[in-house]
Amino acid sequence: MRIEEHPILGKPEERKVIPFTYDGTPLTGYEGEPIAMALEAAGIMIHRYTKKYHKPRGVFCAIGRCTDCVMVVDGIPNVRTCITPLKEGMAIQTQYGVSAQEE
Amino acid sequence: MNRYDLIIIGAGPAGLSAAISAAKNGLSVIVFDENSKPGGQLFKQIHKFFGSKEHKAKIRGFRIGEELLKEAEELKVTVVLDAIVTGLYQDKEISVKIGEEICHYKGDAVIVATGATENMVPFEGWTLPGVIGAGASQTMMNLHHIKPGNRVLMLGTGNVGLVVSFQLLQAGCQVAALVDAAPKIGGYGVHAAKVARCGVPFYLSHTIIKAEGEDCVRGVVIGKVDSSFQLIPGTEKHFDVDTICLAVGLSPMSQLLHMAGCKMQDTPLGYVPVIDENGATSVPGIYAAGDVSGIEEASSAMIEGRIAGTKAAEYLGFLSEDAAKEITAGLELALDRLRKGMFAPENRGKKITLTDEGIPVSDSLLTRGYLDEDELDRFPGIAKGKGIHPVMECTQNIPCNPCQDACPRKCIKIGENITSLPIIDEENSCSGCGMCVASCSGQAIFLLNEDYEPGYASVTLPYEFLPLPVKGDTGMALDRSGKKVCQAEIIEVKTPKAFDHTSLLTMKVPLDMAMKARFYKSRGCSHE
Repeated sequence: MRIEEHPILGKPEERKVIPFTYDGTPLTGYEGEPIAMALEAAGIMIHRYTKKYHKPRGVFCAIGRCTDCVMVVDGIPNVRTCITPLKEGMAIQTQYGVSAQEE
Repeated sequence: MNRYDLIIIGAGPAGLSAAISAAKNGLSVIVFDENSKPGGQLFKQIHKFFGSKEHKAKIRGFRIGEELLKEAEELKVTVVLDAIVTGLYQDKEISVKIGEEICHYKGDAVIVATGATENMVPFEGWTLPGVIGAGASQTMMNLHHIKPGNRVLMLGTGNVGLVVSFQLLQAGCQVAALVDAAPKIGGYGVHAAKVARCGVPFYLSHTIIKAEGEDCVRGVVIGKVDSSFQLIPGTEKHFDVDTICLAVGLSPMSQLLHMAGCKMQDTPLGYVPVIDENGATSVPGIYAAGDVSGIEEASSAMIEGRIAGTKAAEYLGFLSEDAAKEITAGLELALDRLRKGMFAPENRGKKITLTDEGIPVSDSLLTRGYLDEDELDRFPGIAKGKGIHPVMECTQNIPCNPCQDACPRKCIKIGENITSLPIIDEENSCSGCGMCVASCSGQAIFLLNEDYEPGYASVTLPYEFLPLPVKGDTGMALDRSGKKVCQAEIIEVKTPKAFDHTSLLTMKVPLDMAMKARFYKSRGCSHE
């Protein structure tokens, strides 16, 4: 959910809308915003499942500290999506353990 | 190996202030920060700061951040971003991970201003997506324009929990409740009152039992705890929420100082280095400033940074002892003025029953988040008067005095001690300009006119929500607890630039509601 207008901060600056994929599904977000924010705006809460107990995890600290929000980005696992800027055409995948496939 | 006179770790309020002070005195300074933007947490702070002029009071945090960055840029301070300092060694050498590379730098002095990290509290379901830190929700809302959820429960009533709850309301989220295991609200009463008058209930002596949901948060169950924090069976209460925010304190990130061999100590302010009044650690040439040396506010972090920067300049011979003293003496006084009153570091954890003036503190404010009408008379800022006059619902000794400077007619007096409660100077008469209302960082000042019209009073209140009502709108007036008490008509809306996005709403209410009505709700407005 995006904030269209804020009583103190006003309207966000104009940003470029770019396409990316989430588990193969095409989505759009703003260029340069953290990947996690584009996903949050699309209503996606689950970023990964833990290896041993298969428990869902999402954004927790949003400043790159807790590593709960890691995903597979362009084939690379363990990418902290809350501090990694979104780029055009990025392939973002839910992470299962440390891979993009359900084990 | 790259050499600098001074290495600063952390580009938040303390680090940037230190860099500015040092660079002014001719030192070559390099600042490292692990984030991709400088400013630390300042850019997430959209509320007006407390303190006095020298502490940048009534300026919003993000604007203070902009000022600091500009000043650092003008002084040509080098700030390296996305740079994680991984080691600090006793000879003041550091290792930094920049991109995929590990680099080495050596400074003749080092200032550690790494700040703090949020504490967490585990409960059943706490790892579910939708359980987030209060800082995370600030990052989402105030930096990235994203609502962290639709309906939020906040755990923690310290200033972070209170301020972030208000920010959630401003962003258009609903706040279901504020919960704290402690029996009293931990943060400033004025912050609590802002949230309470929007209708948010407080549950003190309560804790989270579990977060509900399979894939993400769908609800939360809280329960009452006894004086030894044990759950009282049968007190469970459920809320439908999609987000749980945790604001349960901060811990200094002091690992680098520990690693460098600085003497450390465990204190109520966290695991911190032993420092003198200038931020000097037990290792000559290594200083600590800001939250890393004990959790406080950004206002004190900035002063500590300036002191440390000045002392580093003296340590390296860029300033004489006398010249440094001249600078730090003034800064130390400014710091002292912030550390007075009920929320002073030495009062942490203590039960305060009387104000400095000897007035019993409001119990209702500490447990429900708002002043009870029966308690109002004993506070000096809350006085009845003829014609238009300010009502200052400021009842705790907090370091803040912009209202005194704001009044062009000098109606409001706080005096030398900035933690004193404001009083009304009866000699001077209020013009109704509203400068005090807009300048109050705690949004605790209202203008009342009991003689507005026969049978009607006008109440002017600070308003920082959208949509902004317009003159002629009718809605409901809410009392301090957020309860609807009467019909209200908006008779004036003021939004001059000088008020910096704090609009002043004046509403007409029946005369007997003048001391009750403290908020306005438009028809169809969502923040409840």
